[in-house]
Amino acid sequence: MNVLEMKDIHKSFGPLEVLKGIDLEVKKGEVVGIIGPSGGGKSTLLRCATTLEHIDKGEIKIAGETLVSTSRSGLTQYTDKKKVQEIRSKFGLVFQNFNLFPHFSVRRNITESLIHVHKKSKEEANAVCDQLLKKLDMLEKADAYPCNLSGGQQQRVSIARALALNPDILFFDEPTSALDPELTAGVLKVIRELAEEKMTMVIVTHEMAFARDVADKLVFMDGGVIVEQGSDIISNPKQERTKEFLAGYG
Amino acid sequence: MAELASTLSQLASGLRFTLGIFFLTLLFSIPLGLIVARGRMSKNKIVAGIVRIYISIMRGTPLMLQLLLVYFGPYYIFSVKLADLDVGPFKYRFVATIIGFSLNYAAYFAEIFRGGIQSMPVGQYEAAQILGFSKMQTFFRIILPQVIKRVLPSVTNEVITLVKDTSLAQVLAVAEMFTMAKNLASSQVSVMPFIAAGVFYYVMNGVIEIIMNHVEKSMRYYS
Ligand SMILES: Nc1ncnc2c1ncn2[C@@H]1O[C@H](COP(=O)(O)OP(=O)(O)OP(=O)(O)O)[C@@H](O)[C@H]1O
Ligand SMILES: [Mg+2]
Repeated sequence: MNVLEMKDIHKSFGPLEVLKGIDLEVKKGEVVGIIGPSGGGKSTLLRCATTLEHIDKGEIKIAGETLVSTSRSGLTQYTDKKKVQEIRSKFGLVFQNFNLFPHFSVRRNITESLIHVHKKSKEEANAVCDQLLKKLDMLEKADAYPCNLSGGQQQRVSIARALALNPDILFFDEPTSALDPELTAGVLKVIRELAEEKMTMVIVTHEMAFARDVADKLVFMDGGVIVEQGSDIISNPKQERTKEFLAGYG
Repeated sequence: MAELASTLSQLASGLRFTLGIFFLTLLFSIPLGLIVARGRMSKNKIVAGIVRIYISIMRGTPLMLQLLLVYFGPYYIFSVKLADLDVGPFKYRFVATIIGFSLNYAAYFAEIFRGGIQSMPVGQYEAAQILGFSKMQTFFRIILPQVIKRVLPSVTNEVITLVKDTSLAQVLAVAEMFTMAKNLASSQVSVMPFIAAGVFYYVMNGVIEIIMNHVEKSMRYYS
């Protein structure tokens, strides 16, 4: 079963066409790694999948629900607000710069949506929070504020915040790019563990070794199109553009 | 000595009005300022335009003039008897003072709030949206608490100015502290009442600074 289906996605910012017909399918339990040069449209693709940007044309289905589609006559239409809100509860997004809520403690960052959006009791929410923090080795930081955590710890909290809502699919946009090199390992380890638990994930990353290890499928994006995809395009690229890009990573 | 005691007691009776103007203005102008800020940032160009003109008039003309207009406007423009405009035990001159101050301070607060809201990183809105928060929840739970921290120093400045501005109510002959001081000074032929009133204002602002410092400190748990 496909948790994410994106068909012929087009997206422009003014005159600049950033996505030029992207097709992407992600099966349940699959980990998809997206790589490619800067400006290739990777973030834009994730932002379209997560409703932060509206597409101009194409179709997006998440967990079987149609978020947006383009009719035969060329009219692109999003589903109604209520349905969009419902679809939003089916995915999570981990940002490059975390975007934690600075005025909330770690615990409240994780439980706020559970309590006030998903109407869970405080006890239930706290139980979910404790379990996640324990798993991410952050339990002793439950009452800390984001500004007192290292970047790596903040990113782990933001992963916990996304996981708390029990999403069907989790998107990551360069989860380690804002971190000091010595802090990336902890975050990558968490993502690896999630992959072992068969969490469905789409990960944009510049960490080639990590991408090769963790991803079931790799997608190389450049100039708004998918140039090449497959399970071993990093060790065995077929396209010239992919080879050229990978050469830059030694 | 007896004169001083009577001066102080009369000033103290004026202080009731001064405090009344002060607290009622804050009570009305802060929420109104939030709404005005919202209007100023509206995507609707007409709404944003009207609000913009409102703010520029409020900030670009003397508060004293605005008070006079609010007070005499109903009579000269609509021929309403001012006595008919009393609200319960409050004379219209006091009501007009509160309306004038609230409209004026709302404009200043609105600009402060707008600056604070616009300084918030877009990532906060995006994270909230992904987590399913409604627009209202996002504003009141995520954005506003952080905006309050950011604008607190500017708000403190306005509040301190307001304490001093209450003396402008004298143009509508509201019996606030400055009006009393002026009357006492001329009847006693002495500057003592002015000095005593000055001390009152100064102490009031001292208290405000202590309180606001406290509030700012209480928000220092995050950055
Ligand atoms: N909101 C926006 N308005 C205008 N142009 C934008 C906007 N967002 C992205 N772009 C442009 O779209 C193109 C693709 O950007 P995108 O961020 O998706 O690339 P990316 O593959 O994520 O790059 P990077 O590896 O640097 O993160 C770039 O040319 C960028 O300048
Ligand atoms: Mg990007």
